[in-house]
Amino acid sequence: MKKNRNKRKEQGMRDTRFASGLCLVAALMLLSATPAVANVGVQCPPDTDGIDTNMDGLVDNDNVCMHLSAGDGYTQMADGKLQYIFSYSDLTGIEDMDMALMQGMRAAVFPAPTIYLREGEKLYLTLTNVGMMDRPDLFDPHTVHWHGYPNAASIFDGVPDASIAVNMGASLTYFYTSPGPGTYMYHCHVEATEHMQMGMLGNLYILPYQDMLPDLTDLNGFTHHTNNKYAYNDGDGSTYYDVDFPIQLGSFDPDFHDASMGTEPLPFALMTDKYAMLNGRGYPDTVGPDRIATLEENNGVNSQPLNSLVEATQGDKVLLRLSNLNVTRFYTLAVTGMKMKVIGKDAKLLRGPTGLNLYYDTTSITLGGGEAVDVLLDTSTVPPGTYFLYTTNLNYLSNDTEDFGGMMTEIRVTAGD
Amino acid sequence: MIGHGKNALSGLVAALAVVLLLSAIPASAAIVGLEGTSFNLTAKAGYITTPDGGSYLSWGYANGDGPAQYPGPTLIVNEGDTVTVTLTNELATNVSMIFPGMASVTAKGGKKGLFTREAEPAKNAVTYTFVAEKPGTYMYQSGTRPELQIEMGLFGAIIVRSATQGQAYDSEDTAYDDEFLFLLSEVDPVIHEQMELGMENMVDNTKWEPVIWMINGRSAPDTMAPNYAPWLPHQPYNCMPNIEAGQTLLIRLANAGRDLHPFHTHGNHSTIVGRYGNLLESVPGAGADLAVEEFTVQMVPGSTVDSLFTWTGEGIGWDVYGHQSDINVEPLDDFPGPGDVDHNGDGIVDWVDMMPHESAADHGKPFPVVLPDPTDLAFGGFYSGSPYLGLLGNLPPGEGGLNPKGGFAYMWHSHTEKEMVNFDIFPGGMMTMFIVTAPGSGGAMPMRADGSSVEGR
Repeated sequence: MKKNRNKRKEQGMRDTRFASGLCLVAALMLLSATPAVANVGVQCPPDTDGIDTNMDGLVDNDNVCMHLSAGDGYTQMADGKLQYIFSYSDLTGIEDMDMALMQGMRAAVFPAPTIYLREGEKLYLTLTNVGMMDRPDLFDPHTVHWHGYPNAASIFDGVPDASIAVNMGASLTYFYTSPGPGTYMYHCHVEATEHMQMGMLGNLYILPYQDMLPDLTDLNGFTHHTNNKYAYNDGDGSTYYDVDFPIQLGSFDPDFHDASMGTEPLPFALMTDKYAMLNGRGYPDTVGPDRIATLEENNGVNSQPLNSLVEATQGDKVLLRLSNLNVTRFYTLAVTGMKMKVIGKDAKLLRGPTGLNLYYDTTSITLGGGEAVDVLLDTSTVPPGTYFLYTTNLNYLSNDTEDFGGMMTEIRVTAGD
Repeated sequence: MIGHGKNALSGLVAALAVVLLLSAIPASAAIVGLEGTSFNLTAKAGYITTPDGGSYLSWGYANGDGPAQYPGPTLIVNEGDTVTVTLTNELATNVSMIFPGMASVTAKGGKKGLFTREAEPAKNAVTYTFVAEKPGTYMYQSGTRPELQIEMGLFGAIIVRSATQGQAYDSEDTAYDDEFLFLLSEVDPVIHEQMELGMENMVDNTKWEPVIWMINGRSAPDTMAPNYAPWLPHQPYNCMPNIEAGQTLLIRLANAGRDLHPFHTHGNHSTIVGRYGNLLESVPGAGADLAVEEFTVQMVPGSTVDSLFTWTGEGIGWDVYGHQSDINVEPLDDFPGPGDVDHNGDGIVDWVDMMPHESAADHGKPFPVVLPDPTDLAFGGFYSGSPYLGLLGNLPPGEGGLNPKGGFAYMWHSHTEKEMVNFDIFPGGMMTMFIVTAPGSGGAMPMRADGSSVEGR
């Protein structure tokens, strides 16, 4: 089917008119109530322990602080449809909390802002619930669930049934040590089926200590050089990479999102995803960094800033940090022109308990929701050209009724020097 | 169900859950089933119920004259046993049993069928015999029109225990303190309704679309009700394990359904040591040297996985037991005496001893953030009011209450989150709460005066 960009415009105008009225009401509710604003604030203690835990040579920079809002916003699907979402937005560094609230309202980003840490760092993650501007009838709390955090304490696990969730107009600061290198993910766990279908999903990964070794350290015959990067503390350089790309599999059911926008009953049982995406975009938007305009409906915040274009120079080792956070089904991914080497699963190096190497080469990877793998692509014998990372669930190579799109991106290999 | 307001109904479900849960939370983790080497099962009909108010005609294997069970009785046998299962049929159609993963199954009696011998309605029974050669987790199911009969409920689990007690397999790498079964299945109510109305010819598997998802034959929150709850006569098995910090739980996962279910264990990774009744070893005698740790276990249809889960709180960067100087614990009169220890090496002798399995590095470290005012928070029923393991805190009236010993509750569920609903009602489905309590707590609930736990049976 042919693209219909006008559809977006038309619907966008209607939504904007409807939404501005509601937005005003909600903003007044949040901002006029002084006690609520007083309860918005970040906790970001200085690193005073005198120990260099992230091994970068500095003793006072191991605390990492982030400030995320949780609320609603708009994305644009690859066929032009304006899609109402819930998600997070990055407010890190905004000191005036009134300003932070204003910037976080109706400014959701999909996937949610990427969180990454260096091993040894401590994360103080403040979540501020700015409310759903275009659903002022909702007063949902929100949480952060760090999916895969080992030995998690329930207070910071983000499951509302098991602990606490933060209400509108307030902030809750989560605390995490970095629990070991690899690819994790995060999402809201409040009314999880709904909030996750609506888009509260993000990339999260941890860089290993091994990156920080002194120059010329011998790793069982592999010589480490400063600025070398590895996926894991492998001890032999086998997870070395030149470039890495976090890529999150996701998919939306437009009927569910429209029902949410329209304050209609939500179709849980009949939920059927029709937009299959990588990092919040369907092909060809997955490769086009400039194709997603900053939406006026989204408070001027670029709601889909993350492209999935994999660019490498021939000879590069490419690390794909793949995670799946869609809520309706599994997806299988394949690449053309090269093999995939799976080196990690669920933020664990693929080694057995006695050190047996369990890496494997494959041409396809199947991920259910909540699974993650780390994949190396070796381009040393790959002729320069354009290759594809795509789902072999071929009916999902579409953007709703528009064919030739969906869960696919390009791997562009250029000639080396 | 479609078209009802979500909030009102989920509130109702939550209220219902509170009522069910207050009356009974299982105290520990054990697999309930039939033990022995000879089993008499009867295929018969019964109605299963779902937390959204659904009631569906189902077929199930019953233990002798007992009620039809969804799933059928869990058969617990020992490695090397010669197992005999005699199947009697009270349904109006032929039924049978097959035992995937079991070698040399023989069948006697009944009538020859496509997969195996079948029991005809109201005729002589079929007797199946097999040798449980290898320990592990298995399933049994109907071998007669499986596309219909397994949907109707003719399936169950088999546990083959290792010759060494307390191990999943014949390797000490698979040792556990407690074990629990997670048998996954789906229900498409349309098929059950068509069968109830005698419209078997209308059943169309190409239109199969489940809207009910279950663990051990129950959808959440029924998963958290006691074993043999009287209001669930055809769904006797619960799914709410509990361990103490430092203990190891053997998770026996089995997927009797048709869809892939990614099973996510909140709280920690689990270590997969077996698949399909096979120890993950590179060569015989090597132990579980091919084991992998995963936070989401991909359960494809027909698969079984044995995985070990433990939780200690190590590495979280604060004292999970609340051993800070700001809690109300006074040192002894002779403090610091010769027996007092500086566990965490910070140069200060600690007021409080470490708990078993506690991380020395985190001992005494303060809670890292200030929690918001209660008016800014929504509280879960399993929140104790305290961030610390084994401690209780103040909660607003009406909050909490499901976790009287201050355990840490973790949601264990299908991460195809669509499957965490009952029809259009969230939460529900393929989900349960798993609880870790402090060492020595004796389970998640208080004990009765006679020493038994507050449990349904």
